[in-house]
Amino acid sequence: MRSLLLGALAIVPLRAASAQGTAALYGSVRDSSSRPLRAVVRVNGHPATVADTQGRFRLSVPAGRVIVRVSFLGFQSVDDTVTVAAGDSLERDYRLVPAVALLQPVIVTAGKRSQLLSQVVTSVALVTDTEVARRAITTVDEAVDKAPGVQFLNGQVNIRGSSGYVQGLGSRVLMLVDGVPANQGDRGGINWDLVPLEDVARVEIVKGAGSALYGSAALGGVVNVITREIPSGLHARVRALGGVYADPPHDIWKFRDYTGAQEGLDVTASYGADVVRGSYTAGGWHSDGYRGQDRRNHWQTAGKAQWLPSPTTRVTTSGSWASDQYETPLIWCTQGSCDDRGQAFQPFMIDASGRGAFTRSDKGYLATTVDQRASERFAWQARGSWGRTHFTDFQPAGDDWGVANRYGVEFRGEVRPPGDRVVTVGAEGSFSDVRTNIFTGDTNPASSVARTHDQREFAAYAEGEHRVGTVRLVAGTRIDHLDVDGGGLATVLSPRLGVVLPTARVGVWRASVGRGFRAPSLAERFVSTLVQGIPVVPNPNLRPETAWSVELGDAATLSSAVRTDAALFWTDAYDLIEPTVDNGRIQFRNVTRARLAGLDLAVTATAPVAGLSSTLSYTFLHARQLAHDSVPERPLAFRPTHLLTLSADYQRGAIGVGGDFRYTSRLDRVEIYEADPRVAEKVLNLRASAVWGAWTLRAQLANALNYIYSQVPRTLAPVRTLAATITWTY
Amino acid sequence: MPNRRSRAALVALVGVVACNEGLQPTPRCAPNAAAICGRVTFQGTEPDSTEGVLIVAYPTFPQSRNDLLSFQPFPPPPSLPRPFAGSQFYTLPLRNGRYEWVVAVWKKVGAFAPGFGNADTLLKEAGFYRDQTNPTAPGVVVVHDSSSDSVNFVIDFGNMHPICTYFPPCP
Repeated sequence: MRSLLLGALAIVPLRAASAQGTAALYGSVRDSSSRPLRAVVRVNGHPATVADTQGRFRLSVPAGRVIVRVSFLGFQSVDDTVTVAAGDSLERDYRLVPAVALLQPVIVTAGKRSQLLSQVVTSVALVTDTEVARRAITTVDEAVDKAPGVQFLNGQVNIRGSSGYVQGLGSRVLMLVDGVPANQGDRGGINWDLVPLEDVARVEIVKGAGSALYGSAALGGVVNVITREIPSGLHARVRALGGVYADPPHDIWKFRDYTGAQEGLDVTASYGADVVRGSYTAGGWHSDGYRGQDRRNHWQTAGKAQWLPSPTTRVTTSGSWASDQYETPLIWCTQGSCDDRGQAFQPFMIDASGRGAFTRSDKGYLATTVDQRASERFAWQARGSWGRTHFTDFQPAGDDWGVANRYGVEFRGEVRPPGDRVVTVGAEGSFSDVRTNIFTGDTNPASSVARTHDQREFAAYAEGEHRVGTVRLVAGTRIDHLDVDGGGLATVLSPRLGVVLPTARVGVWRASVGRGFRAPSLAERFVSTLVQGIPVVPNPNLRPETAWSVELGDAATLSSAVRTDAALFWTDAYDLIEPTVDNGRIQFRNVTRARLAGLDLAVTATAPVAGLSSTLSYTFLHARQLAHDSVPERPLAFRPTHLLTLSADYQRGAIGVGGDFRYTSRLDRVEIYEADPRVAEKVLNLRASAVWGAWTLRAQLANALNYIYSQVPRTLAPVRTLAATITWTY
Repeated sequence: MPNRRSRAALVALVGVVACNEGLQPTPRCAPNAAAICGRVTFQGTEPDSTEGVLIVAYPTFPQSRNDLLSFQPFPPPPSLPRPFAGSQFYTLPLRNGRYEWVVAVWKKVGAFAPGFGNADTLLKEAGFYRDQTNPTAPGVVVVHDSSSDSVNFVIDFGNMHPICTYFPPCP
């Protein structure tokens, strides 16, 4: 009956079509359950019509042989070749079968503007809120750790081996929270617990030198923690966490007569209206720790408010505050420095010299941004931010403390002139200060006098993208001027060039070359203390360290279920700042010239079992410290050659199971305690989840094999931990 | 075919995981650890101003005051545990190599001045491993992917030597 009706409808234009050498094509589009689909129908590559709500279509086609393609999001397209005579009509009914839709993620970090992932010139890894939520964890770094090419060494992030390990001082990765720089003002390190996990929407990790847009600290990459958008209406979420740590796998390592536990609670509420929106999160957790002297209490609160005075203007104010009080394990016990029970080392016990050490660390930030899309061709953003850290290390030999502030302002414009071009321009300034008794610059390391130091940074940047056919060309540069304690220190130019070349057969190619730099932190410049009786002396003349990074990458879709992303990278670093022992004292100096080259590979597959997704990521890293002075070329410390992560998740209805396996090869070189035993890292994490209405239960067995290892010398990495979260969402 | 590949990948993964050899309990002076071990015997009365006693090793016997800073391991190990009486076992992790002077260093309570300017007043040699055939000379120890056992010597609080004994003049 429907065919008859459509046939009748086709009669009217048929005669006219006959005269012009055309024919009529009509029919329907449905899914495998016979539900109509409003599919797009293309003829010879050109959009011809869209099926109506009943899935019916009718269109005029050139007489002869034509190629028809029928597409609908979430379904496999159908290609059909038909031959129809002039003035004739033809009925075709199409059935589309579901397909996994690989939507292109949109990212905002690589170019300081919204872009499709396939259009950026550098490698970017994404950690979505789903990936964060799958794991019953407490801080963002525990999820970011599994991203391709990313490795954490005792809390210090490495992207393609950028930072190594310097006890949190001077990260060569810049952390952003919603685009706002958030590295510590004094030490330059990163507080991963600054943003409550519940507020994290996704994390973007841009690999390679990012100083052309972000300036200092973006030497090895940029990690942007993006918080959730505030949805319309009233929403609330309560998340409770509980967990237990495994006992040591050998009785001779037992160090306590109870089972260590962790527990926590977070509450989030939000309300969104058309003009005003707000969210608030508060919570805390306690951990007994998995080794001696490892208890920790954490409290946090965060808020976000938005005012949307017009559809094109948005004012956002956000902030967070977190406080940690934790015992400090320092290094583990070696023979004789505790009740060693005849062992050369006791990894769960601590060295007697660290007994009683305790730290209180408070940190917070406040930021306001104004975004306006003034027209189709111009948008701008202005922001102001304030970050603050306050730590006190309570130690038997004397307390160390520091209070640091980091104020920042930025104005950025995005111009889209005619002709497939985008230009991003901006200016940025920051002021950091620290009042401290450890980063004093005092020549007497035993002195406990308090002093204040400050650092200013002024920068301007511009980057343009021009599209020629399907090729995107990117060029930009940034100039930074640094000033310490009122005296000019350095001016650094950070250019970047890149190209993106989509191809039909071998995916999307990308290539880039850029310069990165990192200004020495106030801590590296002015530290003055004693470590095991050895003086650590300041070096006010430290210069910024710099690097040139080159990358060639390709992202390809091998089938609807398999995607790959591979990149070759090469970084030549100059004047790397490292602690140097000389003349019986330790001092940070610009000593190292280094080369880091390697390969990143990520394969994502959603086949062959429905509901199963898996990823394999592998990084090969050849990191060498080049010869200088009398020091021969040797491996760069704290960089593994092989880094492999396998992840798999299976979802069936409300139940999900999954796991990660991480292999990190044995470190070729460490800088201290070189004679200590070192092993490769082999960690298996298992997880499961279940959803009942508003309730979600997630469990994770981290380090399921209870593999005992250390990432940095004499510091035990986490043991097997069973944790579960239950979340109620309104 | 995909099933075979999946199984092969699974077997490979299980194989990797099965090699679950993380850090293991290691008795002092384990045969596969690069270290020297032995027993130190204390003599004399511990001075009231004692901060600690630690053992270090020198690849070559120091020829100048500057050479005193080229000890291994670095950073230096913690002090031997108290009490400084009777005898106790020690282990000193070291890189493979030849060590000409294994020495116990007594440290007086106090902080070092920049550049170790006051080292003469804070540090003293309190004993060293001696050549078995010529007890007046230091004994040589070689570490090569295994521990050197029985590097025993005496720490004598009544017969300690300041740095200037080796490198005069004394202040």
